[in-house]
Amino acid sequence: MSHNLFANRIVCITGSSRGVGKQLVDYFIGQGASVVGISRGVDERVIDNFYPMQADISNPEELKKVFSFIKSKFNKLDILINNAGISHSGQALFLSTEKVRSMIDINFLGAFLVTKEAAKLMMKNKYGRIVNIGSICSTVEPFGASVYSATKAAIHSLSNSLAQEFASFNITSNTLALSPFPTDMLNTISQADIDWYLNEQKIKRLAEINDITNVIEFFCLEQSSFITAQFIQLGGISS
Amino acid sequence: MSELDKIQTIMVDTFKDLADQLGQAEPFECKDEMILFGAGATLDSLTLVSLVVDLESRISDEWGREISLTDDRAMTRAVSPFDTFISLKTYINELVTEK
Repeated sequence: MSHNLFANRIVCITGSSRGVGKQLVDYFIGQGASVVGISRGVDERVIDNFYPMQADISNPEELKKVFSFIKSKFNKLDILINNAGISHSGQALFLSTEKVRSMIDINFLGAFLVTKEAAKLMMKNKYGRIVNIGSICSTVEPFGASVYSATKAAIHSLSNSLAQEFASFNITSNTLALSPFPTDMLNTISQADIDWYLNEQKIKRLAEINDITNVIEFFCLEQSSFITAQFIQLGGISS
Repeated sequence: MSELDKIQTIMVDTFKDLADQLGQAEPFECKDEMILFGAGATLDSLTLVSLVVDLESRISDEWGREISLTDDRAMTRAVSPFDTFISLKTYINELVTEK
Protein backbone atom coordinates (compact mmCIF):
# COMPACT_ATOMS: atom_id res chain seq x y z
CA MET A 1 0.00 0.00 0.00
CA SER A 2 1.26 3.46 -0.90
CA HIS A 3 1.89 6.06 1.74
CA ASN A 4 2.10 9.83 1.61
CA LEU A 5 0.02 10.04 -1.55
CA PHE A 6 -1.41 13.23 -0.13
CA ALA A 7 1.60 14.67 1.66
CA ASN A 8 1.23 18.42 2.25
CA ARG A 9 -2.35 18.34 1.05
CA ILE A 10 -5.03 20.03 3.12
CA VAL A 11 -8.24 18.03 3.25
CA CYS A 12 -11.63 18.99 4.62
CA ILE A 13 -14.08 16.19 5.46
CA THR A 14 -17.63 16.80 6.61
CA GLY A 15 -19.32 14.33 8.90
CA SER A 16 -15.89 13.39 10.16
CA SER A 17 -16.70 12.12 13.63
CA ARG A 18 -18.56 8.95 12.67
CA GLY A 19 -18.98 6.26 10.06
CA VAL A 20 -17.32 6.66 6.69
CA GLY A 21 -16.11 10.19 7.48
CA LYS A 22 -14.25 9.01 10.56
CA GLN A 23 -12.46 6.33 8.56
CA LEU A 24 -11.65 8.78 5.79
CA VAL A 25 -9.91 10.97 8.35
CA ASP A 26 -7.69 8.02 9.26
CA TYR A 27 -7.07 7.27 5.58
CA PHE A 28 -5.99 10.80 4.63
CA ILE A 29 -3.89 11.24 7.78
CA GLY A 30 -2.20 7.93 6.90
CA GLN A 31 -1.45 9.34 3.47
CA GLY A 32 0.36 12.34 4.89
CA ALA A 33 -2.40 14.95 4.63
CA SER A 34 -3.57 17.47 7.20
CA VAL A 35 -7.28 17.05 7.76
CA VAL A 36 -9.88 19.51 8.98
CA GLY A 37 -12.94 17.58 10.08
CA ILE A 38 -16.37 19.14 10.45
CA SER A 39 -19.02 17.48 12.55
CA ARG A 40 -22.12 18.49 14.48
CA GLY A 41 -20.94 16.75 17.61
CA VAL A 42 -17.67 17.09 19.46
CA ASP A 43 -14.88 14.95 18.06
CA GLU A 44 -12.45 14.31 20.89
CA ARG A 45 -9.92 12.33 18.92
CA VAL A 46 -6.41 13.66 19.26
CA ILE A 47 -4.43 12.80 16.15
CA ASP A 48 -1.43 14.60 14.69
CA ASN A 49 -2.45 16.80 11.76
CA PHE A 50 -6.16 16.36 12.49
CA TYR A 51 -8.16 19.48 13.28
CA PRO A 52 -11.72 18.61 14.31
CA MET A 53 -14.21 21.48 14.26
CA GLN A 54 -17.77 21.55 15.44
CA ALA A 55 -20.26 23.20 13.10
CA ASP A 56 -23.67 22.83 11.56
CA ILE A 57 -22.88 22.76 7.85
CA SER A 58 -26.26 24.22 6.97
CA ASN A 59 -25.40 27.37 8.93
CA PRO A 60 -23.32 29.83 6.85
CA GLU A 61 -22.12 31.74 9.92
CA GLU A 62 -20.73 28.60 11.56
CA LEU A 63 -19.07 27.61 8.30
CA LYS A 64 -17.47 31.02 8.03
CA LYS A 65 -15.58 30.31 11.27
CA VAL A 66 -14.39 26.93 10.01
CA PHE A 67 -13.09 28.37 6.76
CA SER A 68 -11.57 31.34 8.51
CA PHE A 69 -9.56 28.81 10.54
CA ILE A 70 -8.51 26.90 7.40
CA LYS A 71 -7.47 30.12 5.72
CA SER A 72 -5.44 31.40 8.67
CA LYS A 73 -3.83 28.04 9.43
CA PHE A 74 -3.09 26.77 5.91
CA ASN A 75 -4.13 29.50 3.45
CA LYS A 76 -5.28 26.78 1.07
CA LEU A 77 -7.57 23.79 0.71
CA ASP A 78 -6.76 21.01 -1.73
CA ILE A 79 -9.42 18.41 -1.18
CA LEU A 80 -13.02 18.52 0.02
CA ILE A 81 -15.01 15.42 0.86
CA ASN A 82 -18.70 16.23 1.22
CA ASN A 83 -19.58 13.23 3.31
CA ALA A 84 -22.03 14.46 5.96
CA GLY A 85 -25.45 12.99 5.57
CA ILE A 86 -28.48 11.86 7.49
CA SER A 87 -31.25 9.48 6.61
CA HIS A 88 -34.82 9.24 7.83
CA SER A 89 -36.76 6.45 6.23
CA GLY A 90 -40.49 6.05 6.02
CA GLN A 91 -43.22 6.33 3.48
CA ALA A 92 -43.80 9.87 2.28
CA LEU A 93 -47.18 10.17 3.97
CA PHE A 94 -45.61 9.45 7.34
CA LEU A 95 -42.52 11.61 6.96
CA SER A 96 -42.65 14.83 8.98
CA THR A 97 -41.72 18.14 7.40
CA GLU A 98 -39.04 18.50 10.07
CA LYS A 99 -37.37 15.26 8.98
CA VAL A 100 -37.61 16.18 5.32
CA ARG A 101 -36.12 19.59 5.98
CA SER A 102 -33.28 18.17 8.06
CA MET A 103 -32.31 15.81 5.23
CA ILE A 104 -32.38 18.62 2.69
CA ASP A 105 -30.41 20.90 5.02
CA ILE A 106 -27.63 18.44 5.78
CA ASN A 107 -27.47 16.30 2.66
CA PHE A 108 -27.90 19.05 0.09
CA LEU A 109 -27.80 22.62 1.40
CA GLY A 110 -24.90 21.86 3.73
CA ALA A 111 -22.87 20.30 0.94
CA PHE A 112 -23.59 23.31 -1.25
CA LEU A 113 -22.55 25.84 1.40
CA VAL A 114 -19.37 23.96 2.29
CA THR A 115 -18.46 23.67 -1.38
CA LYS A 116 -19.05 27.38 -1.90
CA GLU A 117 -16.60 28.30 0.87
CA ALA A 118 -14.10 25.63 -0.15
CA ALA A 119 -14.19 26.71 -3.77
CA LYS A 120 -13.05 30.21 -2.89
CA LEU A 121 -9.84 28.85 -1.37
CA MET A 122 -9.37 26.37 -4.19
CA MET A 123 -9.94 28.99 -6.89
CA LYS A 124 -7.28 31.20 -5.33
CA ASN A 125 -4.73 28.42 -5.68
CA LYS A 126 -6.08 27.14 -8.99
CA TYR A 127 -6.27 23.64 -7.55
CA GLY A 128 -8.95 21.51 -5.99
CA ARG A 129 -10.48 18.08 -5.78
CA ILE A 130 -14.07 17.78 -4.57
CA VAL A 131 -15.67 14.43 -3.90
CA ASN A 132 -19.35 14.29 -3.09
CA ILE A 133 -20.53 11.22 -1.27
CA GLY A 134 -23.72 10.07 -2.91
CA SER A 135 -25.65 6.88 -2.55
CA ILE A 136 -26.84 4.09 -4.80
CA CYS A 137 -30.28 5.05 -3.45
CA SER A 138 -30.39 7.79 -6.07
CA THR A 139 -30.37 5.02 -8.70
CA VAL A 140 -32.19 2.11 -7.08
CA GLU A 141 -34.77 4.35 -5.34
CA PRO A 142 -35.69 2.01 -2.50
CA PHE A 143 -39.17 1.94 -1.06
CA GLY A 144 -39.49 4.30 1.90
CA ALA A 145 -36.40 6.37 1.16
CA SER A 146 -37.90 8.93 -1.21
CA VAL A 147 -36.43 12.10 0.25
CA TYR A 148 -33.06 10.61 1.12
CA SER A 149 -32.75 9.27 -2.43
CA ALA A 150 -33.80 12.63 -3.85
CA THR A 151 -31.19 14.52 -1.82
CA LYS A 152 -28.51 12.14 -3.06
CA ALA A 153 -29.70 12.57 -6.66
CA ALA A 154 -29.49 16.31 -6.08
CA ILE A 155 -25.90 16.00 -4.88
CA HIS A 156 -25.00 14.10 -8.04
CA SER A 157 -26.55 16.78 -10.21
CA LEU A 158 -24.95 19.58 -8.19
CA SER A 159 -21.56 17.91 -8.48
CA ASN A 160 -21.81 17.73 -12.27
CA SER A 161 -22.94 21.34 -12.61
CA LEU A 162 -20.17 22.60 -10.33
CA ALA A 163 -17.62 20.57 -12.28
CA GLN A 164 -18.45 22.81 -15.21
CA GLU A 165 -18.28 26.04 -13.19
CA PHE A 166 -14.98 25.10 -11.55
CA ALA A 167 -13.20 23.46 -14.48
CA SER A 168 -11.19 26.49 -15.52
CA PHE A 169 -9.78 26.74 -11.98
CA ASN A 170 -8.33 23.21 -12.12
CA ILE A 171 -10.96 22.05 -9.64
CA THR A 172 -12.65 18.73 -10.26
CA SER A 173 -15.94 17.61 -8.79
CA ASN A 174 -17.00 13.97 -8.76
CA THR A 175 -19.52 11.77 -6.99
CA LEU A 176 -19.03 8.43 -5.31
CA ALA A 177 -22.31 6.63 -4.69
CA LEU A 178 -21.94 4.35 -1.69
CA SER A 179 -23.60 0.99 -1.44
CA PRO A 180 -24.48 -0.32 2.03
CA PHE A 181 -21.49 -0.07 4.34
CA PRO A 182 -21.33 -1.07 8.01
CA THR A 183 -22.04 2.19 9.89
CA ASP A 184 -24.48 3.43 12.53
CA MET A 185 -26.77 4.45 9.66
CA LEU A 186 -26.86 0.88 8.37
CA ASN A 187 -27.75 -0.39 11.84
CA THR A 188 -31.10 1.37 11.51
CA ILE A 189 -32.01 -0.71 8.45
CA SER A 190 -33.57 -4.17 8.70
CA GLN A 191 -31.74 -7.22 7.38
CA ALA A 192 -34.51 -7.68 4.81
CA ASP A 193 -33.82 -4.19 3.47
CA ILE A 194 -30.08 -4.80 3.40
CA ASP A 195 -30.72 -8.00 1.45
CA TRP A 196 -32.85 -6.00 -0.98
CA TYR A 197 -29.93 -3.61 -1.65
CA LEU A 198 -27.51 -6.50 -2.08
CA ASN A 199 -29.87 -8.11 -4.52
CA GLU A 200 -29.77 -4.91 -6.62
CA GLN A 201 -25.96 -5.04 -6.71
CA LYS A 202 -24.00 -7.14 -9.18
CA ILE A 203 -21.52 -7.91 -6.41
CA LYS A 204 -23.59 -9.05 -3.46
CA ARG A 205 -21.69 -7.97 -0.38
CA LEU A 206 -21.42 -4.95 1.88
CA ALA A 207 -18.87 -2.33 0.90
CA GLU A 208 -15.58 -2.19 2.77
CA ILE A 209 -13.57 0.91 3.57
CA ASN A 210 -10.95 -0.02 0.95
CA ASP A 211 -13.67 -0.03 -1.72
CA ILE A 212 -14.45 3.54 -0.75
CA THR A 213 -10.92 4.91 -0.33
CA ASN A 214 -9.91 3.30 -3.62
CA VAL A 215 -12.30 5.51 -5.58
CA ILE A 216 -11.76 8.59 -3.45
CA GLU A 217 -8.01 8.24 -3.88
CA PHE A 218 -8.44 8.09 -7.65
CA PHE A 219 -10.65 11.18 -7.70
CA CYS A 220 -8.29 13.13 -5.43
CA LEU A 221 -4.92 12.43 -7.01
CA GLU A 222 -3.22 15.34 -8.72
CA GLN A 223 -2.98 13.34 -11.94
CA SER A 224 -6.78 12.94 -12.03
CA SER A 225 -7.07 16.49 -13.32
CA PHE A 226 -9.01 15.33 -16.41
CA ILE A 227 -11.54 13.36 -14.38
CA THR A 228 -14.54 15.46 -13.47
CA ALA A 229 -18.36 15.26 -13.40
CA GLN A 230 -18.04 11.51 -12.96
CA PHE A 231 -20.35 9.26 -10.99
CA ILE A 232 -19.12 5.93 -9.69
CA GLN A 233 -21.44 3.53 -7.94
CA LEU A 234 -20.07 0.82 -5.71
CA GLY A 235 -21.17 -2.79 -5.97
CA GLY A 236 -22.04 -2.85 -9.62
CA ILE A 237 -25.22 -0.83 -9.75
CA SER A 238 -26.21 0.11 -13.29
CA SER A 239 -27.56 3.60 -13.90
CA MET B 1 -6.05 57.74 3.01
CA SER B 2 -9.81 57.26 3.39
CA GLU B 3 -11.41 53.83 3.40
CA LEU B 4 -12.92 54.54 -0.02
CA ASP B 5 -9.50 55.49 -1.40
CA LYS B 6 -8.02 52.28 0.00
CA ILE B 7 -10.81 50.24 -1.58
CA GLN B 8 -10.31 52.04 -4.89
CA THR B 9 -6.59 51.20 -4.84
CA ILE B 10 -7.23 47.54 -4.00
CA MET B 11 -9.86 47.24 -6.72
CA VAL B 12 -7.66 48.85 -9.35
CA ASP B 13 -4.74 46.58 -8.37
CA THR B 14 -6.99 43.53 -8.53
CA PHE B 15 -8.27 44.47 -11.97
CA LYS B 16 -4.70 45.10 -13.11
CA ASP B 17 -3.62 41.62 -11.99
CA LEU B 18 -6.70 40.15 -13.62
CA ALA B 19 -5.81 41.80 -16.93
CA ASP B 20 -2.30 40.35 -16.63
CA GLN B 21 -3.69 36.87 -15.94
CA LEU B 22 -5.96 37.18 -18.95
CA GLY B 23 -3.05 38.31 -21.09
CA GLN B 24 -4.82 41.53 -22.03
CA ALA B 25 -2.70 44.11 -23.80
CA GLU B 26 -4.73 46.94 -22.27
CA PRO B 27 -5.62 47.20 -18.58
CA PHE B 28 -9.24 47.58 -17.51
CA GLU B 29 -10.46 51.14 -17.36
CA CYS B 30 -11.70 51.20 -13.81
CA LYS B 31 -14.42 53.79 -14.26
CA ASP B 32 -17.30 53.95 -11.82
CA GLU B 33 -19.85 53.09 -14.51
CA MET B 34 -18.00 49.98 -15.72
CA ILE B 35 -20.59 47.20 -15.88
CA LEU B 36 -19.37 44.03 -14.16
CA PHE B 37 -22.33 41.71 -14.47
CA GLY B 38 -25.28 41.32 -16.81
CA ALA B 39 -25.91 42.84 -20.22
CA GLY B 40 -22.95 44.81 -21.54
CA ALA B 41 -20.65 43.47 -18.84
CA THR B 42 -16.90 43.90 -19.17
CA LEU B 43 -16.27 40.46 -17.63
CA ASP B 44 -17.66 37.06 -18.41
CA SER B 45 -19.14 35.17 -15.47
CA LEU B 46 -16.05 33.02 -14.81
CA THR B 47 -13.76 36.04 -14.85
CA LEU B 48 -16.09 37.81 -12.44
CA VAL B 49 -15.80 34.84 -10.08
CA SER B 50 -12.00 35.08 -10.22
CA LEU B 51 -12.17 38.78 -9.53
CA VAL B 52 -14.50 38.40 -6.56
CA VAL B 53 -12.42 35.62 -4.98
CA ASP B 54 -9.23 37.64 -5.34
CA LEU B 55 -10.86 40.85 -4.15
CA GLU B 56 -12.44 39.18 -1.13
CA SER B 57 -9.06 37.83 -0.11
CA ARG B 58 -7.31 41.20 -0.47
CA ILE B 59 -10.04 43.08 1.38
CA SER B 60 -10.00 40.54 4.22
CA ASP B 61 -6.21 40.78 4.47
CA GLU B 62 -6.25 44.58 4.45
CA TRP B 63 -8.86 44.88 7.21
CA GLY B 64 -7.62 41.88 9.18
CA ARG B 65 -10.93 40.02 9.31
CA GLU B 66 -12.97 37.75 7.12
CA ILE B 67 -15.12 39.83 4.79
CA SER B 68 -17.41 37.90 2.48
CA LEU B 69 -18.57 39.51 -0.73
CA THR B 70 -20.72 36.54 -1.66
CA ASP B 71 -22.86 35.85 1.37
CA ASP B 72 -26.63 36.17 1.54
CA ARG B 73 -26.48 39.88 2.24
CA ALA B 74 -25.02 40.54 -1.18
CA MET B 75 -27.22 38.07 -2.97
CA THR B 76 -30.53 39.26 -1.56
CA ARG B 77 -30.16 42.95 -2.36
CA ALA B 78 -32.61 44.57 -4.73
CA VAL B 79 -29.65 46.03 -6.61
CA SER B 80 -26.71 43.66 -6.93
CA PRO B 81 -23.35 44.93 -5.65
CA PHE B 82 -21.83 43.29 -8.70
CA ASP B 83 -23.63 45.46 -11.22
CA THR B 84 -20.94 48.10 -11.65
CA PHE B 85 -17.53 49.13 -10.38
CA ILE B 86 -19.04 51.83 -8.17
CA SER B 87 -21.76 49.57 -6.75
CA LEU B 88 -19.14 47.03 -5.74
CA LYS B 89 -16.90 49.70 -4.29
CA THR B 90 -19.81 51.14 -2.30
CA TYR B 91 -20.78 47.72 -1.01
CA ILE B 92 -17.24 46.93 0.09
CA ASN B 93 -17.08 50.28 1.87
CA GLU B 94 -20.29 49.40 3.68
CA LEU B 95 -18.80 46.09 4.81
CA VAL B 96 -15.46 47.43 5.97
CA THR B 97 -16.87 50.40 7.86
CA GLU B 98 -19.63 48.60 9.73
CA LYS B 99 -19.11 47.89 13.41
